[in-house]
Amino acid sequence: MFDDLKAKFILDFVEKDRWMYITSGLKTTLIVTMFALLLGLFLGLLIAVIRTVHDQLKEEQLHGVGGFVLKIANILCKIYLTVIRGTPTLVQLLLIYFVFLVSCKSKVLVAVIAFGVNSGAYVAEIFRSGIMSIDKGQMEAGRSLGLPYGDTMMKVVMPQAIKNCLPALVNEMITLLKETSICGYIGLNELTRGGDIIRGVTFDALLPLLVVAAIYLAMVMFITWLMSKLERRLRESDNR
Amino acid sequence: MIIVNHLHKDFGDQQILVDVNEHIKEGEKVVIVGPSGSGKSTFLRCLNLLERPTSGEILFEGVDITKTNNINKIRQHMGMVFQNFNLFNNLNIMDNITLAPIRLNLMSKDEAKENALALLKRVNLQDKADAYPAQLSGGQKQRIAIVRSLAMNPKVMLFDEPTSALDPEMVGEVLDVIKELADSGMTMVIVTHEMGFAREVGTRVLFMDGGNVMEQNTPAEFFANPQCQRLQDFLSKVL
Repeated sequence: MFDDLKAKFILDFVEKDRWMYITSGLKTTLIVTMFALLLGLFLGLLIAVIRTVHDQLKEEQLHGVGGFVLKIANILCKIYLTVIRGTPTLVQLLLIYFVFLVSCKSKVLVAVIAFGVNSGAYVAEIFRSGIMSIDKGQMEAGRSLGLPYGDTMMKVVMPQAIKNCLPALVNEMITLLKETSICGYIGLNELTRGGDIIRGVTFDALLPLLVVAAIYLAMVMFITWLMSKLERRLRESDNR
Repeated sequence: MIIVNHLHKDFGDQQILVDVNEHIKEGEKVVIVGPSGSGKSTFLRCLNLLERPTSGEILFEGVDITKTNNINKIRQHMGMVFQNFNLFNNLNIMDNITLAPIRLNLMSKDEAKENALALLKRVNLQDKADAYPAQLSGGQKQRIAIVRSLAMNPKVMLFDEPTSALDPEMVGEVLDVIKELADSGMTMVIVTHEMGFAREVGTRVLFMDGGNVMEQNTPAEFFANPQCQRLQDFLSKVL
């Protein structure tokens, strides 16, 4: 039994340096996740701010060119949220790869854009719920001191909002990391596909897929641990 | 200092303020009392445009603040203290006080800190500079909130029921601070339910009901000789 496993292990990973499918796949997974996450956070924050500013301003303040631009931006954001959240990620990835960015040579770039744009929609709503969870007295206090809206948002509301939505953001990050496993559909050799390639060559499914699963699990546990540490530090101001 | 002309405020089809006219002079301590829903908080919040009036004008030192496009500049001169304190929960006390003066380039960091410490000393909370709002009692929070407003060197202070959210035993410490501030000559507009305080600190007491100022007088006359029936009823209930 043990010898059998050992033989399979050597066949799956050692022979012909097949472990490199795993490591290079892991590298791709990490790159795609990281840049998609950054793109998602940027898009999400931008959209959340547009939506919040739009909703917080009263009708009579939405006049002039600025008000018009904001109204249009808000409508575009809503369409984006509806479409992205209403269609499967895989379909979006395939559409971007085979239709919208068909001339793009880098599959990694396609994946980053697809997952970033997808994640952005979810992150936007997470940020928005975070901003809305902050008592409006915080904004009023800032404004009553003469601080502009943007300053109060940046210095007072956002830090509290981000702290409040950190668990949901980590959730989204974990989902994103695992969701990149569908990149195989556009032929990008990420972690899952790396394991799958080994399975295809050696006809052993157990070890390669178990290893892949274990690596995902380890990464998720690491992210969770890191964030709980960060969360504890951010809670400093709540200590009584 | 503040002149209010024909101020109206509607929320939907509900009229909250109906043609309010008022003139608040420098050095005055105007106390506004009245039943809940009478529009007194809304009136106060209109004075620094936290609520935007439906119509009418509000002149602060001759400038109509409903028409200005630089309300932030004007708000720097109008301190406001809220019922729920509204200290910035993510900042410690020192940063709560110095955020606005530093961000708005009114003071250098060192000046702002020095000023904050001096003000904290005035309300006996100098040892709380590094604490966070969540670590303070309600009375302490409100005193800090007053200090935060004072750090901007305002020309007028607006108080929106500053003691309504406090435990009874903490009301005194906050009122003392406000009283001391009044004695220093600060112009103030105070919405409150503390009648004793209104009588003691106010130079003029306004009675608001149904979105309008029904009656106003010096504190002594206001409480001793209420004219209109509505005020007599009100005072008989609260005194």
